[in-house]
Amino acid sequence: MFLINCPFCGEREQSEFKAGGEAHIERPKQPTELSDDEWAEFLFMRKNIKGVQFERWNHAHGCRKWFNIVRDTSDDQIKAVYKMGEKPPVK
Amino acid sequence: MLNYNQTIKDQKSYQGLQMSEKNPVMKLIIRGKKREFLSAVGKSLNMVLPTKANTSTQSEKLTALWLSPDEWMVFSNIVAKENINSYETETLLNKNISKLNLGAVVDVTDQYVQIILKGDKIYDLFEAGSPFNFNEFRNKIGSVTQTIITKVDVIIHNQNQNEVNLFVRRSFSEYLFSWMNDSASRL
Repeated sequence: MFLINCPFCGEREQSEFKAGGEAHIERPKQPTELSDDEWAEFLFMRKNIKGVQFERWNHAHGCRKWFNIVRDTSDDQIKAVYKMGEKPPVK
Repeated sequence: MLNYNQTIKDQKSYQGLQMSEKNPVMKLIIRGKKREFLSAVGKSLNMVLPTKANTSTQSEKLTALWLSPDEWMVFSNIVAKENINSYETETLLNKNISKLNLGAVVDVTDQYVQIILKGDKIYDLFEAGSPFNFNEFRNKIGSVTQTIITKVDVIIHNQNQNEVNLFVRRSFSEYLFSWMNDSASRL
């Protein structure tokens, strides 16, 4: 349980949010030219690291907007929150 | 409102807390992003939509709640007539917004149930089942929040000191109301 500072609504409890997985995964420009392995790599393979990770979150029980956060997966400390389309902060 | 079935039949009252459903009341969800949308809504409703997060604006007839940067709920302060199924405000907004592709107007009158809570124990009740911090909310009349109470999504509007409007989806309303009664009896 931890608090997330929604860029639209302000500080709310984590149970109001839904995690949306790793952020900044770019969709391949020509999916038809990819092999099955490369396509699966894009679709399913995620880093799942211990440490600082860039993630997408959705304020599902609030404003229903998507945004990004930088979270340390080992202690749930949130390093930064930024809106969709904004440049991620440099570590 | 034609054939409106009340989900919450009785008015409950406890020490420092009264709860009842207000019905039927017109409710609309309006969505849009453009600047022309905001000015068109302002002109049609004769009131400004709140652009600041978690706030609301009120005119004599209507109240507008901020739900999201591009989404608002507009509801009537007056109870609707029981034998009519259309609303002046909705027709007007449809003409000035939907028809011109500026945004979307959806009638959610039947979708949401409006519960009015009065008394000085309202926030004690909410705190029993919600993760939201009501400290700032309770002192600022007009503030709005969307949060969860016992896992049910609700929209809460601070109407006045010790008076709160709560909107809940119709299918969850009976459950939420029975939970509130149970919880209120133990405050």
